Amino acid sequence: MLQFLVDTLLRASDLALVALGLSMLYGLVKFPNVAHVQYAMFGAYVCYGLHAAGTPLVLAIALATAATGLFTLVLQVLVFQRLLRGGPAIAMIGSLAVSMLLIAVMQGVAGSFPRMFELPRTEPLVLGDVRLARAQIYSVATTIVLLGLFMFLLFHTRMGRAMRALASNSMLANASGLNAAFITRLVSFMAGGLAGLGGSMLALSTGAHINLGNDLLLPVFAAAILGGLGNPLGAVVGAMLIALTETAVTNMNFGPVFGQELMFLPVAYISAASFLILLLALLFRPYGLFDREVRRV
Amino acid sequence: MFDFLVSSLTIAGIYALMALGLNLQAGYAGLLNFGHIAFAGLGAYAAGIGFGLGWGVLPSLAMGIAAAMLLGLFIASIGRKLAADYWGIATLAVAEILRTIATNEGWLTGGANGISAIPALFDGLARPWDSVAFLALVAAILAACAVVCSRLGNGRFGRALRLMREEPQLATCMGYDLRSLKTRAIMSGAAIAALGGFLYAHYMSFAGPEYMLASETFLLWTMLMIGGLGNTAGVLVGVVVVQAAYVFVPFIKDWLSLSSDVSGAIRLGLIGTILLLCLMWRSEGLVPEKLRKMP
Repeated sequence: MLQFLVDTLLRASDLALVALGLSMLYGLVKFPNVAHVQYAMFGAYVCYGLHAAGTPLVLAIALATAATGLFTLVLQVLVFQRLLRGGPAIAMIGSLAVSMLLIAVMQGVAGSFPRMFELPRTEPLVLGDVRLARAQIYSVATTIVLLGLFMFLLFHTRMGRAMRALASNSMLANASGLNAAFITRLVSFMAGGLAGLGGSMLALSTGAHINLGNDLLLPVFAAAILGGLGNPLGAVVGAMLIALTETAVTNMNFGPVFGQELMFLPVAYISAASFLILLLALLFRPYGLFDREVRRV
Repeated sequence: MFDFLVSSLTIAGIYALMALGLNLQAGYAGLLNFGHIAFAGLGAYAAGIGFGLGWGVLPSLAMGIAAAMLLGLFIASIGRKLAADYWGIATLAVAEILRTIATNEGWLTGGANGISAIPALFDGLARPWDSVAFLALVAAILAACAVVCSRLGNGRFGRALRLMREEPQLATCMGYDLRSLKTRAIMSGAAIAALGGFLYAHYMSFAGPEYMLASETFLLWTMLMIGGLGNTAGVLVGVVVVQAAYVFVPFIKDWLSLSSDVSGAIRLGLIGTILLLCLMWRSEGLVPEKLRKMP
């Protein structure tokens, strides 16, 4: 049981940061940026490269976060602002093109073979019958601290109030004198940074690889949509739900249902679990679990 | 060289079929379908599974098209109350689920190895003529589909779809049932794509999960965006341009002696770059759609 909770928590912390950034940015730019999960892959490779070049791990992660944030900001200003003039559909197709380009560049530079971090071996922490690597504990702790910071920023500062106002009604917010362009840039930077950080921490355990972004695509979107796109707090809850389902689906013994001793779903179907939740969410709660806003047609 | 030309043209023709199917949905009806390749995949698997069961070509084809249309009906029914961009993500998810199933249900689909040794359609003919005959078949089917699509697009159905895309409220006022229009557009597009996938499986004598990769859908999207959404001529121009760019990559690879990782990256990056440039500077495509204006 403890193992189950720990697995869920680890997976949730992998997804939450990326989903939070995606959801936050969606609130301002109003199109689902499919390339967002590729920023995580970008961050993972930058972090790997820096670490392999001899930067201390913590510094490498921080630099990768900042670099991904800057990269996202540049893309937002140079590419997506222009595409958005053609409407959200054009911008979304454009984000697909950007993600193809990013994958292509990374594959060309780093090859398709996964790059594992060379970390010093540390004694795992033993809790009951659960073994936890130090890196995992640090990554969960970082996620929790960051989520706390963001919640504080969003709900207790002037900047957070401005961001929420702009997300819920941009015309009204513009009319009341908010600097929309500046806020959008700031949020792009933060969203990209979060994705980069999430990707770097994910890469610590799985290595930096080309499919890191693609593997995140559907769980992250499922989390963000489940929480209601544009609702950052919802995205975190969505990530937890997705993590819970994925862990449950893989750890549950379906044997008794089919009259057999032991029967587990093949691991390859983990991803199908999140697709399924995404579909169910879209079918029954298309605007997320926590929707109080006016419907968009 | 001759063989290479024939095979490039055949593959271009097959992709053109899939792109025509996507154009019915994305071009005329304005639906953001990001899982279109699933329909083609169903067609390809129908060829393989039908062959395994010992069925003839036509019953397998009918099975593939029926499966694709059923999937289209399902996808359309998800879209009932979704905004366009959410629906796009949903279609992507459906296609990925289908690919996961195809990879894991080995008893039906051969798993990751796929189904191989699907017979070519003209095995009876001598060496160069079998592929020429296949090309002729593809060209004939493509011509027929292009004529049907352009007539559909300019006829009552196409006009209704365009009206739905531009002014959904007006279309409702004029008594069109938008849900039924969407469903019909998706299902007819699915049928054409399944036909393309069926031919592809017979041409490659193979059907496997890599036919259903999401990047294949984006390849089709690139063709549409370059040529111009919403008209048949534009689609065909887009297919020719993208296919030409694609065909040159192996030459560049040999010329610069690159690794296969890099050449794969060049292919993907080329498509991404073309698509992005096209979206940023010429979003209506090389052959823009002509909308009739009321005087």
